[in-house]
Order: sequence, then structure tokens, then C-alpha cells
Amino acid sequence: MSHEPFETLAAIYAVGALDGDELTQFEAHLPTCPACEAAVRDAEETLARAVLTAPPQAPPAAAREALMRRVTERRDVRSRAWLRWAAATLVAAGAAAVFAGTWVAVRYEARLGQMAREMAAAKEALREELSLDRRAVELLRDPTTRVVDLRGRDGAAAANGRMIWNAAGGGHLLATGLPPAPPGKTYALWAIARGTPRPVGLFAVDANGRGGHRVAADTARDAVQGFVVTLEPEGGAPAPTGPIVLTSTR
Amino acid sequence: MRLPCHRGASLIVDGMPTPGTELIRAMAAGDHEAFTRFYDRYAPLVFPLVLRVVGERADAADVLQDVFWEAWRTAAAYDSARGTPEAWIVTRARTRAIDRVRAVRRRSETFVPALDAASAPAAPGGDVAERAGDRALVAEALARLPAPQREVIELAYYAGLTQSEIAERLEQPLGTVKTRIRLALARLRELVTLP
Repeated sequence: MSHEPFETLAAIYAVGALDGDELTQFEAHLPTCPACEAAVRDAEETLARAVLTAPPQAPPAAAREALMRRVTERRDVRSRAWLRWAAATLVAAGAAAVFAGTWVAVRYEARLGQMAREMAAAKEALREELSLDRRAVELLRDPTTRVVDLRGRDGAAAANGRMIWNAAGGGHLLATGLPPAPPGKTYALWAIARGTPRPVGLFAVDANGRGGHRVAADTARDAVQGFVVTLEPEGGAPAPTGPIVLTSTR
Repeated sequence: MRLPCHRGASLIVDGMPTPGTELIRAMAAGDHEAFTRFYDRYAPLVFPLVLRVVGERADAADVLQDVFWEAWRTAAAYDSARGTPEAWIVTRARTRAIDRVRAVRRRSETFVPALDAASAPAAPGGDVAERAGDRALVAEALARLPAPQREVIELAYYAGLTQSEIAERLEQPLGTVKTRIRLALARLRELVTLP
């Protein structure tokens, strides 16, 4: 800082005559020094009051008009800008809503589609189950229908089976207590005629150990004497190879 | 507190003088009526200063518009604790006027500051009527300063010269110029505060 008394620097600064390093230093010093700030303010007040002792003089009327127009126009511009902003915001919000709506709709449709497919699959399963039960009931109505018990053997001692059999109408196997077939294996049902097993179908069991299989009638064949269920490789085999899990023979 | 912004619903009451600080506060709230009154009150007071600095009436009207436009836009930043409305608008007007003069000087590149007719009343020549008109623009308080003090204020405040430029111009030591400015301010302070 200079050695000048601050009243002098404040006065020179206030009349706009401070220059060079003194100006730089004083301007850096000013915000940190309330005394210097007050001195500058005091000098500015003095100058303002001195200046205003000059006789007033009306500026050109055009200046006033132009200024007032400018102020009013600027407000209009501002309000128009606000309107544009609002409009743009609304458009953006609308687009966002449409987008969100579409997205929700697409998601909803996808979910609905999935539900419909699930429903259709469930319906199909129920229909299949129902038709099996109906056939079983029809078979049971037939006086010539026999119910053959199958008992568990080997690794499936807890298993039980019932074969509803009609020589003319075919048959229906209902099995319980069977463990799920190991990977790569499946259960195979055999019809025994003349002491020889004939493959009549492959089936799986559900998590509760229940399984079933419908057997078409084959009147051309010899009379069936009994039924056997074995564990066979996936895809089956022409003749039993695996262990017997259920059998109607004693 | 901010005043509600309603065109035509000015909170400034007619019939009694409203303090300048109230007008600026209303301007900050967007009150056109307050701005009109602010302009009508201060423009005729400030215009002689601007005209004195820039010289041309058309230029002075231009600068005046800029000054009041700036006042309108920055009214919210006005702090009455930091100065009177008079100092606020006068300081702004002087700065803008000097800016204009300096810009013109930079453009013309031919500036050789001439001692103002009013600051050198003993200088011969010049149109008598013009000089009389000029003299009418000189602030009364300024006219009552001793000539050497008035001279440095004229050169600094109205012509925009710095202390170094004034010293060179007057062929006086810088310290003398500094002292004259300080003395001038002290004297002006007495003049404007006397009852």
C-alpha cells in the first residue's frame, strides 16, 4: 500500500483519477478496509451533491420515450419468452407422457401377452387332464373294464399303480409314489401278452411322484395279461432293459 | 421485501414526494410507474453532468438512456446502506459518460485533451454565447472552488484524465495534483454540507 493517507487515495479514486499500481493496490485493499470504503463513499456522496448543484436541464423528450418503450418492450419480450418456454415445456412434458404411456402400454401388453400365454397353457393342461379323467371315467363305466393293480418293485417299493384297462377301448395308467426318473432315463409301460412285453408308451412323473399314461386300444393284438413299468433310457427301447419299478404280476 | 409486480398497481402514492430509495425498491419489483417517476426526478439532474462530459447533446441523450436502463435493470442490487440514490445514479452516469468519451477517443486516435472552456475561463477566444451555455452547466459548488482545485476536478471528473495525465498536462508534480484533489474534495464537502 502506498504511504498516501487514505483520505487522499479515496478522493483521487472517487474522481476516477487513480492509476497504475496505486489503482491496482487500492482496489485490492478496498474490500478489506471499511475505513477506506467509507471514505470513498463519502467522497462519492460529496461529488454527487456537488454535481447536482448545477441547474437542472431537461434531456430530449425522445430519450424518455425511447427508454420507456424499451422497458415496456423488454417486459413483453420477456413474457413472450416465458410463453415460448412454457409452450416448449408443455410439448416436452406431453412427449414425455406419450413416451411413458407407450412404454407402460408396451410393458403392459407384454405382461398381458405373457399372462394370456400362461392362461392358454394352463387351459390346455387342464383340458388334457380333464379329457384323461373323462376317458378314465368312461372306461370305468364300461362293465368290461378291469382295474389292474400294480405294485412297486426293486428301488420303488413305495410306488403303486392302477391300470384301468378295456380290451376294446384301451387303457389308462395312474401311478403314484414313483421317484422322478434320473437324468437321461424315463419310465416305460409295457403290456404283456403271451408272456412277452410290448412297449405301449413312455411317461414321466411330477414332483409328487404321480404319473399317468393313456394306452390306445389295439384289438388286433393278443389279449393283455398284465402290465409292467420299467426305467429305460430316454427314447425308450424295443424290449425292457432297466429295472422293473411297477408290475401287475405276482 | 419485494413488492408485487403489477403493471399499473404502483405502491407509490401520488401527491407526496417518495424517497428515492422507495422508488428504486419499487423499480426492483418491476414497477414501471416508479421508474417513470425516478427518471423524471433524476434525469434532469444528471443530464447536465452527462452533457458536460460527452459534449454532444445526442450522445448525452444516448448515455442517459443507458444509465437509466442500467438503473432499471440493477435496481434490485441497490443497497441504501451503501449510498444515497443521488450518489448511485450520479456515479453511474459519470462512469458511463467517461466510458463513452474514452471509446470515442480510442476510435479517433487523435485525442489531445483540450482544457475545457469552463475550466480555463481566462483563456481567450471561443464563442461568447457558447461559453455562457457551458458555464451554465458547471455545478455551482464547483464554481466556488479555488481555480487550481477546480481545474483538477474538471480534468479528472469531467474529462476523465488520471492523476498522472493531469500532472503531465499541468506540468506539475504528481504530489501536487494529489494534494489538490484531496483539498478540492474537502472543500466541496464543506460547500455541500453547509446549510
